[in-house]
Amino acid sequence: MSDNHNSAGGVPTTGHVWDDDLADYVNQPPKWWMLGLTASAVWVCLYFLMYPAVPMATSGTFFEGIGLPGTGKWTAIKELEGDQKILDDARSKWENKLKDMTPAAILADADLSEYVTRSGKVLFSDNCAACHGQNGVGTEQAGAKFAVREQGLMAPRLNDDDWLFGGKIDDIHTSIVGGRQGMMTGHKDSLSAQQIDDVAKYVKAMSEGNGDSEAAGKKVFAESDCTACHGADAKGVAAMGSANLTDKIWRFDGSLEGIKHTITYGVNSGDANARVAIMPNFTAGGKLSAVEMKKLAVYVYKFGGGQAEAPVAPVAVVAPEAASAVDAASAPAAK
Amino acid sequence: MSDHDHIYSTKLQDKIERSTVLMFVFTAVAVAVGGIVEIVPLFYLPNTGMAGGDGTFNNTQHKDLQGNAIPMDKIVWNPTTSAHKTLADWQPGDGVRPYTALETAGRHVYIREGCFLCHSQMIRPFRDEKDRYGHYSIAEESMYDHTYQWGSKRTGPDLARLAGKYSDEWHRKHLKYPRDVVPESVMPNFFFLDKNPVDVVKTVKTMEVMTMMPFNPVPKTIYTDAYIAGAAKEIEGKTEMDAVIAYLQSLGNHVKFEEGVNYRD
Amino acid sequence: MEAKQATTVKYDMDVVRWFTIAAIIYAVVGTLIGVYVASELAFPFLNFDIPEITFGRLRPLHTNAVIFAFGGCVLMATGFYIVQRTGATKLWSNTMAWFTFIGWNLIIVLAVITLPLGLSSGKEYAELPWWVDIMIAVVWLSYGFNYIMTIGIRKTSHIYVSNWFTMGMIVMITYLHVVNSLAIPVDMYTAYSIYSGVQDAMIQWWWGHNAVGFYLTGGFLGIMYYFIPKQSGRPVFSYRLSVLHFWTLTFGYVWLGAHHLQYTALPDWTGSLGAAVSLAMIIPSWGGAMNGMMTLSGAWDKLRTDYILRFLVTAMAFYAMSTFDGPVMAIKSVNALSHYTDWTVGHVHAGALGWMSMISFGALYHLVKKLWNTEMYSDKLVNIHFWIALIGAVTYIVAMWVSGIMQGLMWRDYDEYGTLTYTFVESVSAMHPYYVMRAVGGAIFNLGTWIMLFNVVMTIRQAGAVRGVNAVAARA
Ligand code: HEC
Ligand code: HEC
Ligand code: HEC
Ligand code: HEM
Ligand code: HEM
Ligand SMILES: [Ca+2]
Ligand SMILES: [Ca+2]
Ligand SMILES: [Cu+2]
Repeated sequence: MSDNHNSAGGVPTTGHVWDDDLADYVNQPPKWWMLGLTASAVWVCLYFLMYPAVPMATSGTFFEGIGLPGTGKWTAIKELEGDQKILDDARSKWENKLKDMTPAAILADADLSEYVTRSGKVLFSDNCAACHGQNGVGTEQAGAKFAVREQGLMAPRLNDDDWLFGGKIDDIHTSIVGGRQGMMTGHKDSLSAQQIDDVAKYVKAMSEGNGDSEAAGKKVFAESDCTACHGADAKGVAAMGSANLTDKIWRFDGSLEGIKHTITYGVNSGDANARVAIMPNFTAGGKLSAVEMKKLAVYVYKFGGGQAEAPVAPVAVVAPEAASAVDAASAPAAK
Repeated sequence: MSDHDHIYSTKLQDKIERSTVLMFVFTAVAVAVGGIVEIVPLFYLPNTGMAGGDGTFNNTQHKDLQGNAIPMDKIVWNPTTSAHKTLADWQPGDGVRPYTALETAGRHVYIREGCFLCHSQMIRPFRDEKDRYGHYSIAEESMYDHTYQWGSKRTGPDLARLAGKYSDEWHRKHLKYPRDVVPESVMPNFFFLDKNPVDVVKTVKTMEVMTMMPFNPVPKTIYTDAYIAGAAKEIEGKTEMDAVIAYLQSLGNHVKFEEGVNYRD
Repeated sequence: MEAKQATTVKYDMDVVRWFTIAAIIYAVVGTLIGVYVASELAFPFLNFDIPEITFGRLRPLHTNAVIFAFGGCVLMATGFYIVQRTGATKLWSNTMAWFTFIGWNLIIVLAVITLPLGLSSGKEYAELPWWVDIMIAVVWLSYGFNYIMTIGIRKTSHIYVSNWFTMGMIVMITYLHVVNSLAIPVDMYTAYSIYSGVQDAMIQWWWGHNAVGFYLTGGFLGIMYYFIPKQSGRPVFSYRLSVLHFWTLTFGYVWLGAHHLQYTALPDWTGSLGAAVSLAMIIPSWGGAMNGMMTLSGAWDKLRTDYILRFLVTAMAFYAMSTFDGPVMAIKSVNALSHYTDWTVGHVHAGALGWMSMISFGALYHLVKKLWNTEMYSDKLVNIHFWIALIGAVTYIVAMWVSGIMQGLMWRDYDEYGTLTYTFVESVSAMHPYYVMRAVGGAIFNLGTWIMLFNVVMTIRQAGAVRGVNAVAARA
């Protein structure tokens, strides 16, 4: 009965029946499955010998663990060392040179500066673009809409030739290595509301090229401490990172209100309402290596705003030999 | 009656199938083994960041390039041997330390907002992760992380070595409205953290709880009664935004790593 | 003999009916939330600056809703149904079963309240607050105890294979939940794990993987072993296969947790164990898949007319697929690429949508017909649901596999200068089209669950006042 109850092709069931018609055929598991099961067991044993798989102090393999010469000596760290070596070999051709070269020298060398520009991309985008925007265009242009809530840039643009701390390759390098924190004192105590209003009008007028139209403000500017930092010509002093006030480029809010705010509370002045402008120090905690920071200096310089030491700005062209070097390096670098 | 009593497997299997108790006992044992083998050793083996009673980390020995064991005090901050005695004057590189009061409050926010669902805090020993995020993470670095925060998904980048990468100001802008500073971001706006004051009572209690943990508790020599007593004043009037930023700025700069040293085995 | 007795027993089926209805509702809700979180990743403005619905808080609600609300109610509905019928006996305690029903749903309500409020223990799939964890333990034990006692009072000589798997699940989930949830409370809202770092990670993924292995897999294999033979009216293909793959899975699956921690700060041997045994689990898993599919051998023609059977069989195909995908991802070198990426999410949903949901839908339709002793209001809609679910699932899975592998490759890609090619943000924007595709696939899948809900409601209304279900048993 129940055994042939619903057996097909003559295969009987185990004879046990549940819930009227649930039963099990006595079919054998397929051959391939039984083989697979055995293979799996063998596989596990092999794997245990090849890889560190026994809960022991050392990450060595079983054989190493019991003092015998191991079959395989894999560890995650050894794997890393291997992969890292391939990479280092691919880079060494350039990296070795970079180690003891100045940013300026790197910039002058077409092949190297090409290499540096390439390696600069991710370095800059993963570390700097957050503040300076992709390719240093500034966060505003990168599509952010500070206008909605807040005027000004997260950080200065790096693709123009307006530099707070100077645009020579070494200035740029210094900015990266040491970080920057330009300080401008607030003037809410030293200047009256009227004076601030005047001087702000003057600064705005200056940027539009007709500063003289604001006599009152001009007076305040000259007599107050402004010139001490921004210079008599108000063109800014790189040493202090003070802004050039005669151009149309605004680091913070360039509206009259914005300018008044900057003047009243200052920048990094400690005042609660002060503008904040902190360029992190990338040397601290070894966040970036010396070479990486050199690379970035060149990379930033080549955004176009870099200012040459000598009249002739070094232009980077990939020399043919550099191009062939590229192919040479490609094989090992590809993972 | 038919082959009803014929056994098609083994006697034992048939016994088990006939007995609720046997079926229960055999499964209960079968499912226990794997877990025991994989979990228990992590409590007594070295290289697992387990301080152990004696603070030798079950004899963890990271060898420097000369092959000498690096003193664990260099990797895990020990106020008694360190030049810097209190959390206040602890310096990056002094070694792994527990969180300050404000960071503790921030860590709570980090968990509450589910940051760990999009951000990992575990850098694997790969060359690309080294280039992108920094030195691979080591066991000791998360020894004080009760409820570890390694994560399992990188919708956003790894945060294990975030400390000092950006300014607080940037974090504030970014956390409030990520797309203002990173247009491509898919991270939610956490502007509301700026409005919430930190939960002082919870934070102080949390620090006390951390000293009571059965495994890797925070030593009383670090969370001294004095420190816990002062904690409330330390975070008074701070916002959850301040707190989470403090937490982020504390990630990954504790240990001073030396090139070429194996910190895992 | 046993068979005959079965027909004359009065079963406790009311609680099963309620679990069935709850499961169907949770299927709609859980996947709907899934669609929403998916859309948030595609279009972040959908976070609407409302803390309670930001991705970070809604995602755990999704996982809890689908795993514990939907999955849990399916398991309990089918479990209480199967254990009675295969044991030819009433429940050991009908009252306790009702306690389980009320308790479990109370827990779900609490999850819906606490998770959006940001109460999270920070452990995936174990986010709920400590006092809810205690409730879970109590309710789960009430389910397990009642279930095992019912096996104890069965009238049949042998324990049916479905119940082996369910028993394995009950025991394992108890271990996992208790050990993984140990924490010291700070207050009513917050508690911190007593473990830290390495140990906490290993325990979390011992839990995480086996919640998958015994709950989303073992428990559902139990469902498969009852509903495929029943729906197709054929005996299980091979008894020996059942025995072998049950014990190998039960013993082996437990070792897999470490594959979630490849290359992390754990000692290498943990990952090796995870990888080795993971690969060894392909065959045992496929044993289950095969036993389900081969049960239809000689009855394949039924697939043309029996839409419920289509769900059940398709589920086995997806089960076989995700239990191949998974082991491959467990290999160190593959995991190096797949870990942290959408590949994992694709794998998850191959299992969740293709296997776990499909088998549930099939079982639920079967249950509705039996429990309300009627035909479906519309078989055509069942068929439509099947195709919609299939299209939705495939769309979702394909999108995530592509985006996941692309993500992994972009992160590690080096150019000929030996420097990283892509910035992280470039990988984020590259995912956008796939996140949209995932949301669409999910929406399609979710539409299917609405159709099921409608169809079932109409079916029950048409069935009218429910008559004693033992009459049904007779016609089984
Ligand atoms: C947390 C935001 C932030 C990050 C990250 C950042 N910077 Fe800056 N950076 C600034 C701010 C703010 C200034 C302006 C400082 C000031 O005005 O005193 C600045 C200034 C500079 C300057 C000087 C500009 C000038 O006009 O003289 C250079 C060059 C520069 N950054 C390069 C970089 C590079 C390269 C990186 C990445 C390694 C980087 N920055 C990362 C915020 C940042
Ligand atoms: C202690 C030095 C110091 C003094 C005094 C000072 N400034 Fe500045 N000022 C700075 C620095 C440095 C910056 C650039 C801040 C930055 O971008 O990091 C700056 C920026 C500005 C800006 C913003 C420019 C922009 O691009 O948004 C304005 C406007 C300005 N100063 C006006 C004045 C006026 C007017 C006075 C006098 C009342 C004055 N400053 C006095 C150092 C000074
Ligand atoms: C929906 C996923 C998601 C959630 C939730 C999320 N993030 Fe992010 N996060 C991202 C993405 C994507 C990026 C990369 C783009 C960017 O910088 O915004 C990112 C970037 C970041 C960064 C910059 C990292 C770097 O090195 O550039 C920080 C810091 C950060 N998130 C912190 C947090 C914190 C803190 C929380 C919780 C309060 C959080 N995130 C929640 C997705 C998320
Ligand atoms: C309409 C159908 C569904 C959609 C659209 C959906 C969507 C999502 C999304 C967007 C995530 C987050 C992934 C990430 O963080 O990148 C997710 C995670 C998850 N979902 Fe679903 N889901 C659906 C159905 C299900 C079902 C039925 C289950 C059943 C178990 C499930 C289980 C999970 C799990 C376990 C996770 C966590 C995965 C991980 O952490 O790796 N989902 N889902
Ligand atoms: C033999 C079978 C399986 C193996 C070996 C396996 C293996 C894996 C691996 C390697 C991961 C990725 C871990 C990581 O890199 O983070 C993973 C994740 C996952 N798998 Fe499986 N899998 C299997 C079957 C299944 C099935 C059938 C499901 C059904 C739902 C499932 C659900 C999940 C979930 C939810 C995750 C995500 C965990 C997380 O949040 O990260 N798996 N699995
Ligand atoms: Ca200017
Ligand atoms: Ca996950
Ligand atoms: Cu797993």
